[in-house]
Amino acid sequence: MPNLETAPSPQKLRRIAIDPVTRVEGHGKVTILLDEENKVHQVRLHIVEVRGFEKFIEGRPYWEVPVIVQRLCGICPVSHHVAAAKAMDIIAGYGTLPPAAEKLRRLMHYGQMVQSHALHFFHLASPDLLLGFDSDLTRRNIMGVLADFPEIAKQGVFMRKFGQEVIHHTAGKRIHGTGAIPGGMNKALTQEERDLLRNGVDQIVEWAIGSVRMIEKLHLTNPRFYNHFAEFGTNMMGLVRSDGAMDLYHGGLRATDAGKKIIFDHADYSQYDRMLQEGVKPWSYMKFPYIKSLGPEHGWYKVGPLARVQICDFIPSPEAESERKKMMAMGEGRPVHGTLFYHWARLIELLHAAEVIRDLLDDPEILGKDLMADKGPWRGEGVGVIEAPRGTLFHHYRVDKDDLVTFCNLIVSTTNNNQAMNEAIRAVALQYLDGCEITEGLLNHIEVAIRAYDPCLSCATHALGQMPLEVSLQDAAGAMVSRLCRNSDGAIV
Amino acid sequence: MTIERYITIDGEIVHFGAGQTILQAALAAGVFIPHLCFHPDFGPHASCKLCTVTVDGRNGSACATPAMPGQEVHSDTPELNARRRVLLQMLFVEGNHFCPGCAKSGNCKLQALGYELEMFNAHYAHFYPNRGLDASHPDILLDRNRCIMCELCVRASRDVDGKSVFALAGRGRASHLVINSPSGKLGETEFALSDKAAHVCPVGAIMPKRVGYSVPIGERQFDHDSLRQKVKKHTEWRSSGEERDGATKELVNGSVAVNSVKEG
Amino acid sequence: MATAAQNTTPRKLRVATTSLAGCFGCHMSLLDIDERIIDLAKLVEFDRSPINDIKHCGPCDIGIIEGAVCNAENVHVLHEFRANCKILIACGACAVNGGLPAQRNHLDVAEILKHVYGDLDGKPSAPNDPELPLLLDKVRPLNEVVRIDYFIPGCPPSGDTIWKYVTDLISGNNPRLSFELLRYD
Repeated sequence: MPNLETAPSPQKLRRIAIDPVTRVEGHGKVTILLDEENKVHQVRLHIVEVRGFEKFIEGRPYWEVPVIVQRLCGICPVSHHVAAAKAMDIIAGYGTLPPAAEKLRRLMHYGQMVQSHALHFFHLASPDLLLGFDSDLTRRNIMGVLADFPEIAKQGVFMRKFGQEVIHHTAGKRIHGTGAIPGGMNKALTQEERDLLRNGVDQIVEWAIGSVRMIEKLHLTNPRFYNHFAEFGTNMMGLVRSDGAMDLYHGGLRATDAGKKIIFDHADYSQYDRMLQEGVKPWSYMKFPYIKSLGPEHGWYKVGPLARVQICDFIPSPEAESERKKMMAMGEGRPVHGTLFYHWARLIELLHAAEVIRDLLDDPEILGKDLMADKGPWRGEGVGVIEAPRGTLFHHYRVDKDDLVTFCNLIVSTTNNNQAMNEAIRAVALQYLDGCEITEGLLNHIEVAIRAYDPCLSCATHALGQMPLEVSLQDAAGAMVSRLCRNSDGAIV
Repeated sequence: MTIERYITIDGEIVHFGAGQTILQAALAAGVFIPHLCFHPDFGPHASCKLCTVTVDGRNGSACATPAMPGQEVHSDTPELNARRRVLLQMLFVEGNHFCPGCAKSGNCKLQALGYELEMFNAHYAHFYPNRGLDASHPDILLDRNRCIMCELCVRASRDVDGKSVFALAGRGRASHLVINSPSGKLGETEFALSDKAAHVCPVGAIMPKRVGYSVPIGERQFDHDSLRQKVKKHTEWRSSGEERDGATKELVNGSVAVNSVKEG
Repeated sequence: MATAAQNTTPRKLRVATTSLAGCFGCHMSLLDIDERIIDLAKLVEFDRSPINDIKHCGPCDIGIIEGAVCNAENVHVLHEFRANCKILIACGACAVNGGLPAQRNHLDVAEILKHVYGDLDGKPSAPNDPELPLLLDKVRPLNEVVRIDYFIPGCPPSGDTIWKYVTDLISGNNPRLSFELLRYD
């Protein structure tokens, strides 16, 4: 594949912009540079906003952080809330959480998985898949799906509603609640709330199974298209449990190459900055992380459902595991990398999350009233990592003896996918746009590829990290002129 | 001949005791008049002007006007509430009142008054001042961004705790809370969590450390009851002679809402 | 032939929505009206919105904006909405008062960028491509940039709050929120 990141002489080319990218969360635009024959020379996904949460968190007291940082994102606030709380548990010196507290956090988190995945698939992405990539743009949205496929759309609406209600009963409100606090949870689940949710969950599991079957059927109508749309092998990364099972709340880091060969496994996530590094490109506010040992050229990776479903050894819930096996069979023994598999994997996770919620609600410990861990000595620094709906999310803080945050670094899920999304839209540009008359429907193919990653660009735009950072200056011919590295402790090397 | 000791507030008869102000009489009777700088344990301050009412045709602070037999008081009128809303709006733009990230949210009197007076936005251009916070004290956080300069902490520390930890300095827009210590830091003072001054702040400026958000949404003071309802309920509880758990707990927590309806 | 007066089905109101410097939480809250979205579809049709693929705002009855103004692009989009919407609603804490992103207002933007993206041989290495909109020195609520007709506070306002407010407006009433629906957090 030719390098489409930077055209050698952009000034002679025609610019097409998709601005804003829609039916995704946050602010992004795509620019495409074409020559007179509509040959594609440059394709970039730009993240156009910066909000600086990491900077203004500094100087705030640590107990405010889990509540403030969830304002990074209204779609997956629980991820930020819980990742920050996990880091603050460590910082404030708390020990292991009582079972009820950990289970309530898990319940909240898996509730979010259901609502976020349902929202993304049904409200945002399904119009492309059900109505057609190049269908009438005035109807290519959830309203159009409601009109043409009312049952499917309603199931999506109700699945999302259920997830939101799980969050409401654990965090106090649907969006930007306060459930997790350093050392535990502030609210027990009442019997009444448990029964209410338990009564609803079987229907959700059933609908989730139906959704996975639907996407499977869709793939099989045209496997060549679905398997190979924006297909390119990449490294993959995510958390796994100590036995290799999928665990979205806690685990060790596993990274594999495109063929599922292990790069690192069960790695302690508090050492993330020894494994990962970020690069900056002048045309996007979002950074480009990569696996340090492989370097920026070969070390980029993907995270999120498609990575998680494939790098784990199994999914620890029966229905989802059986659906996982069906998806994996499509690769005939090798991992699948077609971008549209993201949707399939996402719906498998939606099913898994619903099963986990059911099991948690059946567990008597979920009604426990002991919600705070014992407090030990102050630690002052902590890393909290969680598998957010869109992928691995890192929160790293240092807090001084006066309880104020002195350092904050966030690598949000979508940032991990930055290079992969750029590669995906370049693949689509070559596959479908190159040399063609550019139509709205063709441009939507680009957005379809971005949407598959379910990017959360708001999250990404808030992140102003202090990761190990490499900046390089290149001349017009692409040769490196100068290079600078900063370690995570701020030292310049 | 005896003189009947009552006034009318918005047409309702309110009896008063000897030496009571209009605000004290109103709160004792369960009639809500908006207020911020008033606290039943301290004398009138009359600086926030939110309790301004019309007494026999003239405007005055209810917290500083003695109740007199036969006074005709108007409080809950569109004109007075509009003026109160403007005062609130000015307080909101003058400081940095970011409710979404504030641990006082749900228990904050400034916020509750905003709800009460149906304030939908701050209308004026925000100052976004850079006031900073003081975390030097081991148990108490001072966040000047949220200070509304009601001087309740100043009064409590001076008049009850006998420590005079706080004072206001500067004038007009430059007014700010200062600390009585060589470095100006709270950590160098004798201030303690058990002090009255640590529990009278109506906003999130003076807060105990490390306990933020321990009360879940739904159980905070103003999650279900407005200030007006709280004042009314508290009077009903008292007159029924019942000791309600909620009321006791809130008093212990230094609730501004319920505190302010204690007998003056 | 039916005349306009005989046609009893009222014209659907046209509604546009966008997020400026926000987190999409207010749009999520809009979707928290859950199955009432089916009723909403009978009352309104959507112009530009992140939930569809219309990229620019045309003439509309109601515009709903979440998020504050933090960069040059936000200003352009806000002006586009003001020019096209008869009624413009600031929805959520960021749109109403700047929200948490306004906590950067006491920081220097150049310093933030330097802090984040580093310096290279004395030259700032923050992204500077012309495709990227310039940051404003301060985050501003919408009404400090254009005239705003209505405000819905809350972070985010709940689905019920947005539903009550918008249905009041659609039915021609001055919107009111009960105590339980008016929240700043």
